[in-house]
Amino acid sequence: MNREIKNRSLSLEKGDLLSFLLILPTLLIVLIVMIIPLFYGISISLFRYDIGRTITASDFVGLGNYLRLFKDGTMLKSLTNTVIFAISATAGDLIIGTLIAVLLLKITPKARGLLRALYIMPLLISPIIVGLIWRYMYDPSSGFLYWILSLFGLGIKQFPGMTATSTALLSVIIAHWWQVVPFVIIVVTAGLVSIPNEYYEAAYIDGSGEIRTFFSISLPLLVKVYMVIIIISGVDTIKVFDIIYSLTQGGPANSTMSLSIYAYKNGFEMYQMGYAMAIAVFTMFVSFIIFGIPFIRFGMQSKGQEEA
Amino acid sequence: MTPIYLLVTNSFKPTLEIKSIPPSFFFHPTITHYKKALINGEFGNYFINSLIVALTTTLISVVGGAFGAYGLMLTKSRWARIASNSMLIGKSVPAITILIPLYMILNIFRVGGTYLGPILAHSSVNLPFVIWLMLSFAKAIPKELIESAAIDGARRMQTFWKIIFPLLLPAIASAIILSMQYSWNELLFSLQLTSMDSYTLPVGIAKFVGAMSVDWGKSSAAASITMVPIILVGFIMQRYLVSGLTAGAVKE
Repeated sequence: MNREIKNRSLSLEKGDLLSFLLILPTLLIVLIVMIIPLFYGISISLFRYDIGRTITASDFVGLGNYLRLFKDGTMLKSLTNTVIFAISATAGDLIIGTLIAVLLLKITPKARGLLRALYIMPLLISPIIVGLIWRYMYDPSSGFLYWILSLFGLGIKQFPGMTATSTALLSVIIAHWWQVVPFVIIVVTAGLVSIPNEYYEAAYIDGSGEIRTFFSISLPLLVKVYMVIIIISGVDTIKVFDIIYSLTQGGPANSTMSLSIYAYKNGFEMYQMGYAMAIAVFTMFVSFIIFGIPFIRFGMQSKGQEEA
Repeated sequence: MTPIYLLVTNSFKPTLEIKSIPPSFFFHPTITHYKKALINGEFGNYFINSLIVALTTTLISVVGGAFGAYGLMLTKSRWARIASNSMLIGKSVPAITILIPLYMILNIFRVGGTYLGPILAHSSVNLPFVIWLMLSFAKAIPKELIESAAIDGARRMQTFWKIIFPLLLPAIASAIILSMQYSWNELLFSLQLTSMDSYTLPVGIAKFVGAMSVDWGKSSAAASITMVPIILVGFIMQRYLVSGLTAGAVKE
C-alpha cells in the first residue's frame, strides 16, 4: 500500500514530475545566467564598486548611484537618445515595412520569392557588420552615399551624416532601418496573406477604395502582428549597442550615446561597476515602462485564447 | 543589398581602388586582405571560436527548448504558465544589465574568458525564445493525438519521440537557424566574456572598428568571412527562417 503511493508520486507517467524534469535545464540556465546575476547586479548598484579596489562596508551608498544618474548630463543625454532611437526606429520599421509589404503584394508570388532572397540578407548579418557597412556608406571622402548624393548636387553640407551632432542619431536610425525593415516586411506579408479574401471582396463591393480598405480592414487585423514584432525586435531597440558601437561609439559629442553604450563605458572603460550597474538597472526599467504594455496585453491575449 | 555587394567587392579590391569614387565595377581582384585577416589577423582562430560557441549554443537551446516546450505542453499547473510568462518578460531585460554582474561572477569562479561565458549567455537568451517558438508551432498539434497515444499505453517520452518530435521538425529547423544566427552575430556578451583565446568573429571586428581610421580592405575581408557563412545557411534554410520569424504572429 505504502509502496504504491510512493510509486505514484514518483511516477513520470502521471502528474507534473516529468514536466518539471523536462523544463529543469532551461530553468537552471535562466536562474544561473539571468536571475542570480540580476540580483547580484542590483546589489552592486548600491555600492561604490570600483574594480581594483577592496570594497568595504563604507562603500555602501544606498541609492546614491541612482540619485547621481539624474545629475549626470551625459546619462540624461543617453536617456533621451535611447528613447528617441527606440521610438523612431520601431515606428519607422513598422511604417516602412508595412508600406513595402503592401506594395510587394501587387507583384507575382514568384517575383516576391526572388526578391525575398535578396532583402532577407541584412537581417541575417551581425549588427556590428551593419554598422561597419554603413560607416563605409557614410564615409565623407569615399562613401557610397555621398557619391549618390553628389549626383543630385548634394554633399556633406546638406547631410553631414555621422560627422555632425544634428544628424548622427538619424544616421544610426537609417542603418537600423536597413537591417530590421526586411524582418517587418516578412512578418507583415505573412499577416496580410493570412487575411481571408472575402474581407477584401466585401470591401470592394461596398465600393471602398484601396487606401480605405487598408485602414479599415488590414490594419486592425495587423495589430497582433505588430505586437509580435514589437516583442521580438522593438524591445531590442532600448538595448541598442552593436550598431552604435561600430558606427559612432556614442559620438560626436555624445549625440549618439545610448544607455547601453554609456553603461558599458562606465563599467568596462572606467571600471565604475556600481555606477554602471545603476545605469543598467535604470535601462531595464525604461525598457519595462516603454514595452511593458505590449507584453502585458500579449500575455492577456494568449491567456484569453487558451480559455476560449 | 547594394551595401552588402559593395562590402564584399571591397574585400577583393586593392586598397587604392576602395577609395575611388564612383565605386569601380571592374577592378583587379586581390586576396591580400584575406591573407592579412586570416594569417596575421587571427581571423581563422576567431572563425573556429565562433563555430564552437554557435554550435554548442544551438545544441543546448534546441534540445533544452524542445524538452522544455514538451514539459509545458504536458502540464496544466499554474506555475508552468507563470514560468513561461516570466521568461517572455526576461526578453525585455537588456543584455548590459546581465553582462556586468555575469562578468564578475564568472571571474570569481575563474572561468571568465573561456567559451563557457558566451555559451551560457547566448543559451539563456535563446532557450526561452525556442520554447516560445515551439509552443506556437505546437498549438497546431491536436490534443487528442497526445491523449490517444496515452490510451494506447505509450509512455510519455515515447509519445514525445514518436509523435511530437516528428511533427515539430519544422519548428526545430526554425529554432536551429534562429539560435545559430543569434549566437554567431552576438557582440555585447562575447565582447566582455571572451579573451584573446576565445574571441568570436564579431569581437574581432569590434576590435578594429574602435580605431579612428578603419583599414577598409582588411575589415571588409573580415566582415565577409563573418557574414557569408551565415547568409548561406540562411538561404538554405530560408523556408524555416521565415516560418520561425512569423510563427508567433500568424500561427493560431
